[in-house]
Amino acid sequence: MSDGVLAARPVIYNDAVVKKFVIATMFWGIVAFLVGVYIAAELAWPSLNLGLSFTNFGRLRPVHTSAAIFAFGGSALLGTSMYVVQRTCRARLFGGDALADFVFWGYQFFIVMAALSYVMGFSQSKEYAEPEWHIDIWLTIVWVAYLLVFLGTIMKRTEPHIYVANWFYLAFIVTIAMLHIVNNAALPISLYSAKSYSAYSGVQDALVQWWYGHNAVGFFLTAGFLGMMYYFIPKAAGRPVYSYRLSIVHFWTLIFLYIWAGPHHLHWTALPDWTQTLGMAFSIMLWMPSWGGMINGIMTLSGAWDKLRTDPGLRFSVTAVGFYGMSTFEGPVMSVREVNALSHYTDWTIGHVHSGALGWVAFITFGAMYYLVPVLWGRKALYSTRLASWHYWISTLGIVLYIVSMWVAGIMEGLMWRAYDKFGFLQYSFVESVVAVHPFFVIRMLGGVFFLLGGLIMVYNLIRTVTSPTTELPRQGLAAPALAANLGVAGA
Amino acid sequence: MEDNLSDIVVGLMMAVFGLIGLFLVAGAADAEMYVFGLALSAFAVCFDFGLIRRYYDRQDVARAAVREHTHV
Repeated sequence: MSDGVLAARPVIYNDAVVKKFVIATMFWGIVAFLVGVYIAAELAWPSLNLGLSFTNFGRLRPVHTSAAIFAFGGSALLGTSMYVVQRTCRARLFGGDALADFVFWGYQFFIVMAALSYVMGFSQSKEYAEPEWHIDIWLTIVWVAYLLVFLGTIMKRTEPHIYVANWFYLAFIVTIAMLHIVNNAALPISLYSAKSYSAYSGVQDALVQWWYGHNAVGFFLTAGFLGMMYYFIPKAAGRPVYSYRLSIVHFWTLIFLYIWAGPHHLHWTALPDWTQTLGMAFSIMLWMPSWGGMINGIMTLSGAWDKLRTDPGLRFSVTAVGFYGMSTFEGPVMSVREVNALSHYTDWTIGHVHSGALGWVAFITFGAMYYLVPVLWGRKALYSTRLASWHYWISTLGIVLYIVSMWVAGIMEGLMWRAYDKFGFLQYSFVESVVAVHPFFVIRMLGGVFFLLGGLIMVYNLIRTVTSPTTELPRQGLAAPALAANLGVAGA
Repeated sequence: MEDNLSDIVVGLMMAVFGLIGLFLVAGAADAEMYVFGLALSAFAVCFDFGLIRRYYDRQDVARAAVREHTHV
């Protein structure tokens, strides 16, 4: 069949599931930011835990991280991947609507069950892998269904080429499946009990955990969102990817290098020195593919820089790529053993994580949401670009407050903990360092409040975009951009 | 065709999960497993009712389209 015939044949996409994921993304985003602000306040004023077990920091902290990474980030990734794979393959999602719906509702069920179990005090005590074995098995089933939907759509594509965004999404799906299964291998004490014991012990357990933990960053929070970047920045800018060759080179180098970097989380521990050095060396090498992606994302705007003035969604996306470059520079620096001796266990790490999570992950998601909502709901434009601009500046200010306060607090903590007097005694007790960082904890919480406020503005703006009569398409205009994007016609 | 097959496979799969949920509730040794089992079976029931509803919605749409097409 000729390309011309293919281009003319419309494909009705399954956008219902994408819409559900968009709504879930916004809902979980607000939940994640709100819980983050609350636990930040608890760190500054511990009595805010109200003396209740359900609201103590230890139980709410994984609610915050899981809501941010898996609920907000995961819903964004699953939704955008289903949107992108249909359009770039010009094929409806594989497996029928029921399978896609199972992926959506099954994933939401996982999130709710995980959060509930944390609040009830059940946890594997593995960072970013807290859910116990039964919830892990449920996620594995949902994830396999997701892989079937995504891979099946690629296999039945009517486009000969697999667009680079799909490579990144597929790497994210496959690698997360592998990481999740290996790290969560555990023996339950009974089929009817939530308690289980890890299949690994001692330093092996720690290494497997951080092989998982760092690659959750590498493949969930990086590869997946790079897939988002490679579709939505060119679409919003109306420009092709700056260098397709660079995208392929940086894809394979990123995939090869990331998987080895985990041991840098275990510097100065019982892990053998050579393993620590290996993790450090691969982390430093990661500069190259990370910056390859950043350069490719930013340079895609060549010839369209003016759109940053008028399109706040694109501004979010490009700023996200800037933050991506910054945090992927900072990460390898912190992986150097001597730097890590200062930074590890301090709030510098928390600042680093949030420059990636807020600046890269959340901003690239906001950019995608501002693009998607008018297209999916068939509206001519956003309700208010002015509100989107307010969101942008308030959130940016929030991130700056957050990461700067954590840098200062972290470096101060590191220096205080290692300071000793002329007799060789430690100069400060631990509690003195806690008192010293208190003002920065308050500033961090304020940064979170700004970010939450920005998120609420976005939600209001997007709800109004869908419901306001001012954004309705004129009847004859229905054949234009929104419809073209929703049907698989050429150029959409 | 793909939708009908998908409905059947996913519907049956959810029915099995619902049953597993009930077994977990019946033998639960702790509150977490009790809540999870109960929620899983409730989720399975709701999901399967959703599938049934969507099946009849599709039939209605198809019937309405035929009526509109044949009505002069």
